[in-house]
Amino acid sequence: MATQIKMPRQGQSVESCIISKLYVEEGSEVREGDLLFSYETDKASFEYESEKDGILLKWLFSEGDEVPVLETVCIIGSEGEKADGRGEKPNQMNVQKNEDDVSSAEHSGTGLETRTGKDARRGSGISPRARKMAEAKGIDISKIKGSGPVGRIIVRDLEGAEAADPATGRATGMEDCRDEPLTNIRKIIARSMHQSLQNSAQLTHHMGADARKLLATREMIKEGKGEERYVDITINDLVCFALMKALAAHPRVNSQLHGETIRLFKHVNLGIAVDTERGLMVPVIEKADTLSIEEFSKRAADLAGQCRRGAVDPDILKPDKGSFTVSNLGNYGVEMFTPVINLPQTAILGVNTIVPRPAGLGGGVYGFVPYIGLSLTYDHRALDGGEATRFLKRLAEEIENIDIK
Amino acid sequence: MPKNQFIDPEKIRKKGEITFLPIPVNSYDRSFKDERENFRNDDLLRIYHDMLLVREFETMLNLIKTTGEYRGLTYNHPGPAHLSIGQEAAAVGMAYHLDADDFIFGSHRSHGEILAKGLSAIHKSEDEWLESVMKSYFDGLIYDIVAKDHQKTVKEAAKRFLVYGTLAEIFARITGFNKGLGGSMHAFFTPFGIYPNNAIVGGSGDIAVGAALFKKVNRRKGTVIANIGDASMACGPVWEGISFATMDQFTQLWEGDMKGGLPLIINIMNNHYGMGGQTSGETMGYGMAARIGAGVNKDQMHAERIDGMDPLAVIDAFKRKMKVLEEKKGPVLLDTVTYRFSGHSPSDASSYRSREEMEAWQQHDCIFNYRSKLIENNIIGEDALKAIDDEVNELVFEMFGMAIDDEMSPRMNLDKDPELIGEVMFSGQRLDAMAEGEPETLIPLEDNPRRKQIAGKERYAFDAEGKAYSKMKQYQLRDGIFEALIDRFYKDPTLIAFGEENRDWGGAFAVYRGLTEALPYNRLFNSPISEGAIVGAATGYAMCGGRVIPEIMYCDFLGRAGDEVFNQLPKWQAMSGNIIKMPVVLRVSVGSKYGAQHSQDWTSLVAHIPGLKVVFPATPYDAKGLMNAALQGTDPVVFFESQRIYDIGEQFHKEGVPEGYYEIPLGEPDIKREGSDITILTVGATLYRAVEAADILQDKYGISAEIIDARSLVPFNYEPVVESVKKSGRIVLAGDASERGSFLNDMARNITELAFDYLDAPAMVVGSRNWITPAYELEDYFFPQAGWIIDAIHTGILPLEGHIVKNDFSGRARIERAKRGI
Repeated sequence: MATQIKMPRQGQSVESCIISKLYVEEGSEVREGDLLFSYETDKASFEYESEKDGILLKWLFSEGDEVPVLETVCIIGSEGEKADGRGEKPNQMNVQKNEDDVSSAEHSGTGLETRTGKDARRGSGISPRARKMAEAKGIDISKIKGSGPVGRIIVRDLEGAEAADPATGRATGMEDCRDEPLTNIRKIIARSMHQSLQNSAQLTHHMGADARKLLATREMIKEGKGEERYVDITINDLVCFALMKALAAHPRVNSQLHGETIRLFKHVNLGIAVDTERGLMVPVIEKADTLSIEEFSKRAADLAGQCRRGAVDPDILKPDKGSFTVSNLGNYGVEMFTPVINLPQTAILGVNTIVPRPAGLGGGVYGFVPYIGLSLTYDHRALDGGEATRFLKRLAEEIENIDIK
Repeated sequence: MPKNQFIDPEKIRKKGEITFLPIPVNSYDRSFKDERENFRNDDLLRIYHDMLLVREFETMLNLIKTTGEYRGLTYNHPGPAHLSIGQEAAAVGMAYHLDADDFIFGSHRSHGEILAKGLSAIHKSEDEWLESVMKSYFDGLIYDIVAKDHQKTVKEAAKRFLVYGTLAEIFARITGFNKGLGGSMHAFFTPFGIYPNNAIVGGSGDIAVGAALFKKVNRRKGTVIANIGDASMACGPVWEGISFATMDQFTQLWEGDMKGGLPLIINIMNNHYGMGGQTSGETMGYGMAARIGAGVNKDQMHAERIDGMDPLAVIDAFKRKMKVLEEKKGPVLLDTVTYRFSGHSPSDASSYRSREEMEAWQQHDCIFNYRSKLIENNIIGEDALKAIDDEVNELVFEMFGMAIDDEMSPRMNLDKDPELIGEVMFSGQRLDAMAEGEPETLIPLEDNPRRKQIAGKERYAFDAEGKAYSKMKQYQLRDGIFEALIDRFYKDPTLIAFGEENRDWGGAFAVYRGLTEALPYNRLFNSPISEGAIVGAATGYAMCGGRVIPEIMYCDFLGRAGDEVFNQLPKWQAMSGNIIKMPVVLRVSVGSKYGAQHSQDWTSLVAHIPGLKVVFPATPYDAKGLMNAALQGTDPVVFFESQRIYDIGEQFHKEGVPEGYYEIPLGEPDIKREGSDITILTVGATLYRAVEAADILQDKYGISAEIIDARSLVPFNYEPVVESVKKSGRIVLAGDASERGSFLNDMARNITELAFDYLDAPAMVVGSRNWITPAYELEDYFFPQAGWIIDAIHTGILPLEGHIVKNDFSGRARIERAKRGI
């Protein structure tokens, strides 16, 4: 650690001394007791002996300079240690500088100052106004040296930084945007989504399914509106109903990957992605395959409501509760997307919007048929493309032939 | 020091002696039979009734304080109750001749006086007037409560009104006479001539003098009675008040119908104890308090000791003394001997007096003895007396029940409206004059010699080329104050001014030059050197309805008026529930060149006290505008002036100081010079040091300083200062008050909070050193100088290249000095 050697105070009335001779060259080794420099007041002359062993890193003044008492004259440290010199001329000596790389960045002399090292540590501070300005202009304050009292970073230090460091980039235009800290739920989502993409081998297959029967079933359900036992079973509920059947046929898709083992589930614990004001939530319906379509539909609606009200049991939001997840963006008109797997699950189904597509109606006749888009993202570590494709194909068939009776 | 009074050395040096007249002691010697011709039977019974009502009222309070219950109703009254059980004859006798135009002032032990005076005023007033008073007071709030379901006479209703209003006040109910803000020790009801009672011993001793002055100067009917205790005769302000009230000038210099003494009776309610200290034999040396009169003036204040245990003796004395007042031979001093059976307060174990003494005095119980005389003399039968007893007891009991009923008599709801008390701190009115009438002056305003002299002056300090006119040519700060004062003297007939050297000399600093020629003695006079009485009398004058400018010459003398400035002047508006107005502009001059006891800026002490407005102008334009605003208002304003700049010209307001009337609202700081890099906020004359500093900052360091003159301390609008700091990011505050505890620190803290995110450094405060003020030759080391402001900026805010500091504003120095208490 480097040490500053200060001009001693020779009596209360002495404010500065003149350096008469420097005895050691920069870069030379000095030992305790070695003569470093001699100096004089208007009444007497004195010699300064080193109290340290080390290398004289830098002289801050030259012979003949007038140095205020308690001002640093030279810096002694170990070989290779950095000693940022002060470039200022002796007559600028009253301006305080922050010296990060020397042990006690003492307030440089007004001749009256008696600041201690403890005081000086406040030198890492920044004024509220400067902080505000640095944030607004995107200035990295860690690179700024404060010129304010006790080394505090003040506004004028930023004015320099701004000009000197165009790399900080956002010097202009910040008035059109603002920085907001992330909410906790946002932080959790961010972390898990990022982890999911980093820690698995995800890819997505897209396929369409003829949705005529699906829509007919939905119409049929809607006709029952107003009846006592009416349940508003949605397209998504119907897709999930079909999904349950497809998963029964492809149990390896209904799974979690834990390191070197794959966990297969007897039942389908189905996660359903819900968009809320606070962010994405994925509540799990346990043993969804054991529920009737009505029961499933009610449960799904119920959970979505709980999520939106913020009243959902946090236990059922844990990713490892689920064995498979469905994310439906069809309502929003999304035609194709690549949903991100809710690890440790091995796959996720994205349900897209229904669009009319030209299709053969048999007998060489072609017409427009409504198709629902299905996007399956799977973890290639757990499933191969063949299995995934077969599963997706099976799902399409289940949708095309759906029958809830 | 009028020139027509010749101090003749021949006479002064002649041999002689001072002789005294005998002071009567209990000279009343008429029998009850003798008095039959002076009183009707119902008058005699009324005396009994009134004494009994006082006794029962206080007995009730005593029971509540000591047993928590009165006639089966429980109640906890945590506040004070200083009772006067035993002193009823003194109170009722004192009040017997007084009507609503006579004003009484009291002490902490004045429930009896309040009730007795109220009952007398009710008895002597017309029903119509009583009804209008009750119906208009707080829009009939109290009247509606006591008159509801009450079918008796107006006077009966007024009696309920009096008892209930007093009791509700004692119990801090919003339905009390002062909204519950006065309480037991300060209850009063001015429409019946019951003026503030005072929790400070002797507090009424100088306030009552001001009330008597108001009566005299404004030619109002009635007398003023100060009921103060025997122990208060040891209090400085009481002695000051007596000195003020007995000035020779009333009889020797005041002219016409103004010639003559004040209509004032200092009535010492002598119960022989000040708390537990026995005033005769232990804590005082007067033996009999009446002796004091002999030492005051050649009339010996017509002093007498009278027997306060006999209501008829007291009534007789007051009749005789009120005649003295009528003849303009006041003031009068009465030593009314009495005895309190109750302790100083209910917590008092009476350990300082013997059982024998108390029993002996009980043999002299005024009510018991008077009752016996009524029966012995066949004024009334036992049964009829019993009926009076029952009626009184029922009245007290019924009013007690009503006063403790939280629904009927709620307290201020500060949950609902947390600012309720804040709203009554100031009356905040704007009135050209406090009363109608033609102001009494000696010459037309335009003939005033000072006015003519000012007419030749330059109302802006610089000529067209920016060159300053000579000091003599410049319109000065003292001229600004003068113009505001004389304007108001010709507008408001109630306005008077007094203080030390206010007349002839023209004020110690020549502010009043030209007023002596314009005003008769009764509007401008020299007071004794009694700062307590100067401010106390002003307080009394204002609370009766007059506007007044007391002056205490040097700020350092504020301590001499400590109680008056800290406890009296600021408090009565709020303690009255905003019934009283306090249009007092107290002029205080901050000295310089005169050392430790004549050069202190105590603005901070005054700004600390809630209820005062505080201003400190530093330019002629501001001085005139602020004085006009202060005089237009109805609140107490402490108006600071700096002797350093009485002769300063107007350097900022380029249009010059207007000749006509204008106001500068209290509380608005003023940007004296615009700038962008640092804000300097000053109080008082330090403005000019800040201007110097700003010039140096600009010329030497290229820093542009914005200078804001606070002008007022209370109230204060922070918004312009915060706006300035938002722009500059830096602020230093400077003023002449010693730095520790300076109001500047309060401002700095508030500004830091209000503009924290905009600050590039903490606000720095530059005040005077925490020393005595040294001699003039050393003042530059004590009062903030331009260089100090720059030192503070360099050390605490913005290091300046090449600047070498002379004064240490570092945190370390602050810590070290604080450790040493300097």
